[in-house]
This record gives sequence, C-alpha cells and structure tokens, in this order.
Amino acid sequence: MTAVLEVRNLRVRLPTDDGVVTAVDGLSYRVDAGRTLGIVGESGSGKSISSLTLMGLSRFLPGAEVSGEVLLDGRDLLAAGDDELRRVRGAGIAMIFQDPLSALHPYFKVGAQLAEAVRAHRDVGRRAAEARAIELLDLVGVPEARRRASAYAHELSGGMRQRAMIAMALANEPRVLIADEPTTALDATVQAQILEELERLQRELGMAIVLITHDMGVVAQVAHEIAVMYAGRIVEHGPVDTILGEPQHPYTWGLLTSIPQLHLPRGGLLPSIPGRPPSLISPPSGCRFHPRCVHARPEHSAREPQLEALPDAPDHRVACLLDPDERRARWQSLRDAASGELAR
Amino acid sequence: MAAYVLRRLLWTVVLLAVVSFVTFVVFVQMPSADPALLRAGRNPTPEVVAAIREQFGLDQPWYVQYLKYLQQLVLHHDLGYSYQSNVSVGSEIVARLPVTLSLALGAVVIWLAVGIPIGIVSAVRRGRVSDRLLMVGALVGISAPAYWLGLVALYLLSKDIGVLPLFEGSGAYPTGGESLFTDPARVAPALVLPCLVLAASFAAIYARFVRASLSEVLAEDYIRTARAKGLRERTVVLKHGMRSTAVPVVTLLGLDLGILLGGAILVEIVFNVPGMGRLSYEAIQRADIPMIQGAVLLGGLVIILLNLVVDVVQALLDPRVRSAAT
Amino acid sequence: MSLNVGRVRAVRVRPAAALALAGAVAALAGCGGTSSDAPTEPLTDTPAKLERGVRGGAATLLSAADVDSLDPAIADYNVGMMVLQATQRTLYSFLPNDATTLVPDLAKGAPKISDDGRTVTVKIKSGVRFAPPVDREVTSRDVKYALERGFTKQVPSGYAAAYFGSIAGTPAKPNSGDLRDVSGIRTPDDRTLVLELTRPNAGLVSQALVKGITAPVPPEYARRFDRQNPSTYAQHVIATGPYMVEQDASGRVTGWSPGRELRLVRNPNWDPATDFRPAYLDRIEIAGGNTDSGVAARRALSGEGSICCDAGSPPIELLRSALQSTPDQVTLFPQRTANWVALNTTVRPLDNLNVRRALMAGVNRSALRLPRGGPLLGELATGYLPPGLQGYEEAGGAHQGANLDFNADPEGDAEVARRYMLAAKRDGLPIDEQGRYVGDDEILAVAANSEPDDKTAEAFQAEARKLGFDVTLRLVPREVVYTNFCSTPAKRVAVCFVAFGSDTPDPYSMLVLPFDGRSIRREGNLNISQLDDPGVNAAIDRAAALSVEEGRIDAWADVDEAILAQAPAIPYVWSKRALVASKDVQLVANRYSTMPDLSFTSIRK
Repeated sequence: MTAVLEVRNLRVRLPTDDGVVTAVDGLSYRVDAGRTLGIVGESGSGKSISSLTLMGLSRFLPGAEVSGEVLLDGRDLLAAGDDELRRVRGAGIAMIFQDPLSALHPYFKVGAQLAEAVRAHRDVGRRAAEARAIELLDLVGVPEARRRASAYAHELSGGMRQRAMIAMALANEPRVLIADEPTTALDATVQAQILEELERLQRELGMAIVLITHDMGVVAQVAHEIAVMYAGRIVEHGPVDTILGEPQHPYTWGLLTSIPQLHLPRGGLLPSIPGRPPSLISPPSGCRFHPRCVHARPEHSAREPQLEALPDAPDHRVACLLDPDERRARWQSLRDAASGELAR
Repeated sequence: MAAYVLRRLLWTVVLLAVVSFVTFVVFVQMPSADPALLRAGRNPTPEVVAAIREQFGLDQPWYVQYLKYLQQLVLHHDLGYSYQSNVSVGSEIVARLPVTLSLALGAVVIWLAVGIPIGIVSAVRRGRVSDRLLMVGALVGISAPAYWLGLVALYLLSKDIGVLPLFEGSGAYPTGGESLFTDPARVAPALVLPCLVLAASFAAIYARFVRASLSEVLAEDYIRTARAKGLRERTVVLKHGMRSTAVPVVTLLGLDLGILLGGAILVEIVFNVPGMGRLSYEAIQRADIPMIQGAVLLGGLVIILLNLVVDVVQALLDPRVRSAAT
Repeated sequence: MSLNVGRVRAVRVRPAAALALAGAVAALAGCGGTSSDAPTEPLTDTPAKLERGVRGGAATLLSAADVDSLDPAIADYNVGMMVLQATQRTLYSFLPNDATTLVPDLAKGAPKISDDGRTVTVKIKSGVRFAPPVDREVTSRDVKYALERGFTKQVPSGYAAAYFGSIAGTPAKPNSGDLRDVSGIRTPDDRTLVLELTRPNAGLVSQALVKGITAPVPPEYARRFDRQNPSTYAQHVIATGPYMVEQDASGRVTGWSPGRELRLVRNPNWDPATDFRPAYLDRIEIAGGNTDSGVAARRALSGEGSICCDAGSPPIELLRSALQSTPDQVTLFPQRTANWVALNTTVRPLDNLNVRRALMAGVNRSALRLPRGGPLLGELATGYLPPGLQGYEEAGGAHQGANLDFNADPEGDAEVARRYMLAAKRDGLPIDEQGRYVGDDEILAVAANSEPDDKTAEAFQAEARKLGFDVTLRLVPREVVYTNFCSTPAKRVAVCFVAFGSDTPDPYSMLVLPFDGRSIRREGNLNISQLDDPGVNAAIDRAAALSVEEGRIDAWADVDEAILAQAPAIPYVWSKRALVASKDVQLVANRYSTMPDLSFTSIRK
C-alpha cells in the first residue's frame, strides 16, 4: 500500500517569553490508507503541535518555525502556498479536537456548521449542503439527525457533540483524519462508542487515521501502529501488539504500567513515571529520558540514542541506549510484578 | 422569556422611583442656589422671595414636596412647570428628545462604521506596526476632551469661523424642534460636525474594545476548528470571530446609547444643539428643579429600558443565555 | 440696583461686570478720565448717527442666556430688558446714548411732582395702541392695572415693592394677595395717572417710572391669564412698542422657544408718529445657547446681520484684534457698573478705620483691573459712582474723593499707606515699625473660582501682602459666592469682590443698598461691608428726600464722599462693555440696558 501521509524529519520551533521551544524535534512516520497510527505521549511531548503542523495550522502561531516535509499523497504540504493549504484543510486532511463543546461555535447551529464545512470545498447550494449535513450526522450514528442539526452545541450531550465533530471532519471525505484526544473529554462508556464509530467509519471510508492520545487504553482499542513520543521525538514505534506486548523503551513501560486497572485492589498507589516532563527549551543532554529513567546509567547523559529497528523485528524501532536483551528482561520482571493482565 | 421581561419592567418602576427620590433629595435639600431667589429678579426684597417660595411650595418640608411631586406625576402625568419660564416640563422634553436622538444615532452610525473595522484590522494584525499606529490614534481619540475637540473642529472646519469652511458650525441646528426624522434636509448638515466630534472618542473606545475582544475570540478553539475546516481566513474572522464579538459590542452599545440619550452635554453646548443635554445644563444652572427632575427621570428611564433591551438582545444573540433564561 | 457677580451668574449668564442700568452721560468723550486709559472708542452711536439708518432687514443676536420673562412687570435682566425696550412703551424711557435723561415715552411731558413730594402726576399720550388682537388705544387705566398686578402673588415682580411700595393702598406684604384695587393709583380720566404716596419720596418714584412695570397691560384681555398662579400673561403678552414677539391671532406667543430662540416682528398697530424710535429692522431674532462667547463673537464678526454678546464681553484678545482690523464692528461703552473690594467693617482687623484706609491707599487698582481686561475694558475707579450715572460729574468725575489722601492715587501710594498703618498701630493693632501687619487674625476672602474673579482675588491677595496682610483666599463656585458666603453676615467673611450696577439713573440705586446701615440683613444682605455709619446714614436720608430741582444729585455726590471717607470698599474699576457686530450691522447700543437697541439698530444695504 502506498503511504497516504508521510512525515519526514518534522521540526517545529516556537518562540516564547522564556526562550525558543523546540516542540517537535525530528519527527518521522508514515500512515497508509485504512490504517490507524496512534501517537502516544504526555502533555508537552509535542504530539498536538505536530498534528497542527500537518494541516498548516501552525502558520497561525506567531513566529513558528517549521522544517521538514509533510507529504500527502506525495505532495509536500509544508512547501505549499496558503491558498493550497486551505484547500487541503477539511478536504485532504481533516481534524477533530479534544473538547467538542469548545471546538464547535456556540452561536451557530450544529447543522449549519456542518453545512459550512461542505460548502467550503464544494460548490453546492445551501439546501443541498444542509441535506448533506443531516446525512453526515446519520452516518456517524446520531439519532434523530434532522432534529439534532437544528441544535446548538451546548444542547447536545458530549457523545453527540463528538459525533457531530467527526461528521464535520468527514464531510469532504478526507484522506487523512487526525483525531487529537477525541475521547478525553467523554465518559468511559461514550468513549468506547466513539472509538467503535471511528473504526467503523475507517472500514467504510478507507481513510488513514492518526490518533493522538496520552491514554494507552485508547490506542490499544483502535490503532494498528503505535508511536510513543517523548520530548518532541519518537522513542518507540511499532505494531500495536508488539508495543503493548513487548515494549522496549522504559518510557513505554511507564505508560503501560500506569494505566488504572479496574480489577486491581483499591487503595493501592498507582505506579507513575517519576519526575516531570522535560523543558523543551533546553532539553536534557544525551538521552532525553535519562533524568526520569530508573535504569539510566551515567553515560546516558552523554550520548543521544537514535531510533533504530530491532534486529529481529524490522518494523519495531526503539531509541534507547540500553542493551535489547537487558530491556527484554526488565520488561518481563515488570510485567510479572504488576498483578493482572493488560486488557485489550 | 415573557415572564422575565415582565419582571424586569416592574423592577424598572421601582428603580425609577428610587432615582426620582434621590434626585429630589439632592436638589431640594442641598441646592447650590435657591430657586426662589433665582426667579425673584435681580434685587428682590426678602418678602418677594418668601412669597415666591410659598407659591412653589418650597417652604414645605422636603418629603411633602416629594409626595406632591409624585402625586402630580403618577395621577396627572404632569411633570410640572419650569420655575423660570413656566413652560411645561413635558413639552420641553418632547421637543428636545428627538434632537438628542438624532445626534446620538448619527454618532452611533459613524463610530460603529469607523471603530469596528479599525478594531478588526488591529486584532488581525496584532503586534504589527499597523496595529500600533491604529491604537495610538485610538488613544488620542479617547484622550481628547469633547469640548476641546468641538472647539477645534469649529475653528478648523466650520463654515462661519473655520479656517477650512466645510461644515455647518455652532448654532446651525434649527431651533424649532426639528430632528433627523422630521426634517433631514436641514438637520443633517448641522449634525455633521457634532456627530463627528461625539463619535470620535467612542470610535476609539470601540476600536480598542473590538481589538481586545476579537483577539480573545480568535484564540478560541472553535476558531481553530473553523480554520481546520478549510474556511477562508476572511470568513473565519468576519463570520465566526465577529459573531462572538458582536455580543459584548451590542451590550456596550446599548449602555452607551442609554447614556447618550440623556444628552451629550458638552457637544450640545459647543455646537448649540437644542437637545436634552443643553436642557439639563441650563436647568441645573438655574436650579430649575422641575426641569432637572424631568430630565433626570427621562435619562434614568432611557438607561433602564435600554439595559433591559440589551439583556433581551443578548439572549437573542447568545443561545447559551437563552437556554439559561428559559 | 443690582448685585451681579455670583448669584446672578447662576441664573442668567450675565456680563461679568453686571448690568448697570442707570444713565450715562455722553461718556464717549468724557469717560476717558485718567491719562492711562485712552482706548480707541469706535463711535457708532453718536447722536448724529442715531438718525441715519435704512429701513428693512433682519438682525440676529447671538445670546447665551434667554429672556428672563416676557412679562413686563417681571423682566429685569439684560436680554429681557432689551426685548422690553423694543416691544413695550413704558411711561418714560431713554435715548440709546443717554441713560441719565428721562424721555417721555408713553407719557406726555415730564412728571409733575407736588410740593410735598407725595404726589406724582403723569399725562398719557394719545394714539398709542395695543397690538392685535386687543387693538384699542392705551388709557391710564391700563397703566393702573399694570402697576396693581405687580403686587399680586400671581405676578412676582422683584422690584415693585422696592420702588412703588410707597404708593398708598399697595399691600403691606408684596406678592401676597390676589388682584385688588390700589387706592393710591388714580385715573381721573383716560389721559391722566396720579400716584399718591404715603411717604414723600416722589423723587425716587418719578425716576423709577422707566421700569417695565409701567408698561400698559390691557385688563380685559389679561385678567384671565393673571388669575392663574403663576400668571401666564407672559405667554400672551401684548406689545405697545414698534416690535412684538411673534404671536398667533389670539395673541398667544408663538415666537418663543425657551432657551432656543425668540423672534420679533413689527407691531402692525405701532404708530411712528407717537414714538421717538425709528424702528428700521423688519425682523429680529435672538438665538440662544451661544454659551461660548469666543465662538459667538467670531461668528458675529465674520457673519451677516449678527450681534454679540449678552453675557460679558468677548475675549480680550479677540477684542484687541477686532479693534485693530475692523474697529467699526466693535462698540465699547461704559455700563454704569463699579467693581469694588468690599471690606467687612465688623471683622478684625478691618474694623479699624485706619487699616481700611491703609489698604485703600496701598492697593494698586491697576493690578486688580488687569485680569478684567486692563484699560481696554474699564477705567480705574476712584469712587462708587461710575460714569454715566447721575452724580458722576458732581462727585468729581474721574477724580472722586480727591480730598481724601488715601484715595488720591488709584495706583497706590505706599507712603500714605504706611502712615495709616502706623496710625492703626497707635490704635493698638499688631503692626511693626515699618507699617506692616504682624497679627495672626485670619482674613478670609471669598471669590468665584472662575475667570476673571479668581485672578482679581489673587491680585488683591498679592497687593495686601505688601502691607503684611496674609489673606486666606477661598474660591468657590460662582453660584454660591453670595448665597453661601458674602451675603450672610454670620459667615464673617472679611473680603468679598463685588460688581454693582444701578438700574435707575438715580444714585440712590447705587449707594443705598451697599452702604446704608439699615440695609443690612441676616440673609441676602447686599451691604457686604456692613457699613453702619451714622454720618453716612444721615447723608443718605438727606439726599433721598430731595428732588432733582432741590439739589438731589449734589447731595448724592456728598454721600459718595462720606462713604469713601469710611473706606468700606476699595473701588477699582468702572467697567465698560463691548458689543461686536457683523460688517453690515449699524449697531446702536442702549446705555440703559447695555444691550443693542433694537429700535435704533439697522442693516447697511
């Protein structure tokens, strides 16, 4: 399959009052049609900025410096002009955001906003666009779509709102859908529904999805591939089963073990990754994770690890200075120590 | 919604009563000048002054006077007669209100047409040179006192005494109670300079306000969504951005209009426009209490009503408020 | 009599130097007394020019204030007076440039005063008719009614009681009852009016026959309006003069929008053969609301058919430049007003005569005059009788009180001042060897906080400091200077700044209220110095009892001198008024009202 979306060495620098933040530092990945890439990381890891950059929305951040390549069906979006980029937004690449209540305009009806999305890229009349809006709402599983289209964002439930956002993103049948924390603002039950919806839509429409989240549980459900981001870089990248089953990076271990398990006894301390996210103005030297890594050795502060494929698994890449065998052993002991299994 | 409006109207009556009471107390209890003395001529004997005082009931205790005033007002719809000219207060107000209305509306149109676009441009180009220049200009507009600006306008631009005789100057407004609604051909030319002067500081205020409000709105998530949808930036700013900014601007407009309709005193004085502002100014100078009361009551009524209108309009424009109210 | 600064300003914006309404000697040549003032005075209203003028045209007065009233018994302020003069025929009146000589207007010939001074007889002209819809000829009964209504509670005339209270049968309490017949006003026939007085003050009464209350009012027409309280006759006023306020067929005034404009048109029933007025103009408009005298004056100077101003003179700089470039558009004339610094004779240390004399000698009156326009707008005053008032010449003209050494040099004589200070030191006051005051009594001065009164007060403060007096100056809003401070003796204000003008040509109106001990009141007091000197009071009584033939005017000149000797107030300027007009206006100013004379002004074609 040809890659619908390919990102090469993306770098984004943002000026702030305290200095220049290198939010994204050499990001590279590719997503094929019909496949879902989950990008996982803490807040501040650069995952949201990278997705904004894909759509050229970072051009609206004053002073942003972007380098690298973003290829959509082979065309470099970063080199494109403003007008060309505008035509891609909402049509070639669409995005849904974390909080649908604030992401939808409070003063326009939901149906109108959807119709607007349609008319932004197609020459259709108002009535036709409104009809299409209702169709779209139906498509994403909103019951009583006609009635819901006349509602305002605050009159819908959280789940409905997110479905409406998805409908809006799908209005022009995008090749790539970027979902930035699509379920974070929703209840657990609704979360599952939305994720199912996304899966179904992907099956029906064949689009590539980039799903950005901090929640391992979410990617476990829908992603085909997982890329773990830390301090603006990908530190581990591989098929979902591999990453969830045989993670090789200490940070990934931390993410996996810190998922709350329903069947664990209450009152126990939730294991978490010690320390705080690093400064992206002056990141740690050498391996960026080393200040928080319990397995770190002194020399790790001097050398930067490269993202390299494992010898026996070419589609599984890790950026870590530890020996692979050592890593495997440590993961084993960690997994045994944590009671219970990871739910899939 | 209907119940809400009704409740507010009842509250209006209460507020007006309070306003009239406070005004009465202020002007009757603590007069800067004795109205009987002022009416009595240049060098009246004390007996004449006492006779006039008795005639107007000014020798009664203030609460008796107030009750009489209320009685007149509520039962006979009579605002009283001027102490100085014996003209009915009601008829004077009716003659002057349309004048002030013309002035206010003219100014509103100008300041909205000038201030809002400036604000939008500044918000969109925030931090850049054009933004800074526009905001400095706005600061000048806000800082220039209306009276001074009016005099400068007269000495520069008025037909009779100006360096560049372009517009009608002081005293050009017809004195027969005409307004923009009844005689636009004569009134409009006379209102050009006064409306410009009056609009100057408001335009500046609205420019700054729109700039601040729109800047905030443009940082909202739904603006990001609009861009992500692939909308033209122009549509994003003017349709999505301004729709949100419209709400506080309309609120502000309602309040400003309320205050203006009480009379743009300084502008009316400089340009000799026979409106409510001039009426109030002259009445206060002469301690013409019935006239002052009438003007204050009218001003209060206008402000209170416009406040109500503003609240209703807010509900109409902001569906979230509407849901909360129902 | 009129006290102008302060209270009056609150009501109508009046000339800062007040509306003196007394006669003016042809002061154009004579009033430039001292050599320091010799301003160019454009002579637009010399007697020769009074005759010339082209009939027709319209003029506009750009005024700040409105008429105070259209009721002839009430109108007392300048714009009201101006309209009154053009629309009403009072028993006696004045030619525009002579406000000392009474000229018969509605009356025929001079008033006849009985020997005992208790009867005044006036003959009424025939052929004077009321304006429509009354139309008929004026009779003596119309004047009787006019006087009687001025005493009712429905018509609050401010001066009826003061000038005509001595008529027998007038109510004891003025403005208190309903209309009733006043027995002392008799009309033996249609052409004769007789006033019988309870006191022998026919001299004063006859001088007061210029007041508006003597303009006839038709009783059959006016009674129904006068029954209302207050009377609504002003809204239906009937004219007898060359002009009338625009009205409808029933007589209701339509040409007056209060505060906005007033329109005068010709009175169709006016017969020029019965009147000394030429009445050139066809229409006159008074445009109100022109509060900025600078703007209004400029408009008048550069416009057409316009005249300014009613409230004070135009700004000094504007006047100066107008006098240089277009002098025939500026009219300057004395307004029979004197400005003085009133010294409270009941407050230490001003209760000491020598201290007062020292101040009078030491203060440089030029410094006080400077903020008010300097020599351009007034002469240095040496007494209380301004030029243009009867008695001015008799009192010494520009050099009143010349025998008094402390009053000889209006620019101050430090030596004389020192002498009086040392005399005061001998009286026991805390004064040092150099003649400077070293006591710690608070000397409180109150003045209005606006120009030029605040500057005048500050100038006085500086002058007084030369003698060691530390004056505490309190600046307050104009409206309350009198009502809250200076006119209330209990407040014990030591120094007040007064502008006083006379509303009759008689010096009585100028000297009695401010300096007679019996005028002192607890409230609304106009004898601000609280002077109560038996010698002065006696001199006043003597002068008031005399008629003009018996030497009344000379007696008043003596009163002026007697008051000066007591130094209760330091007179510093006899102010002039300036009117400006457009190029096409031939402006004639009326010295009595100090306003344009609408019946003599014309438009040049």
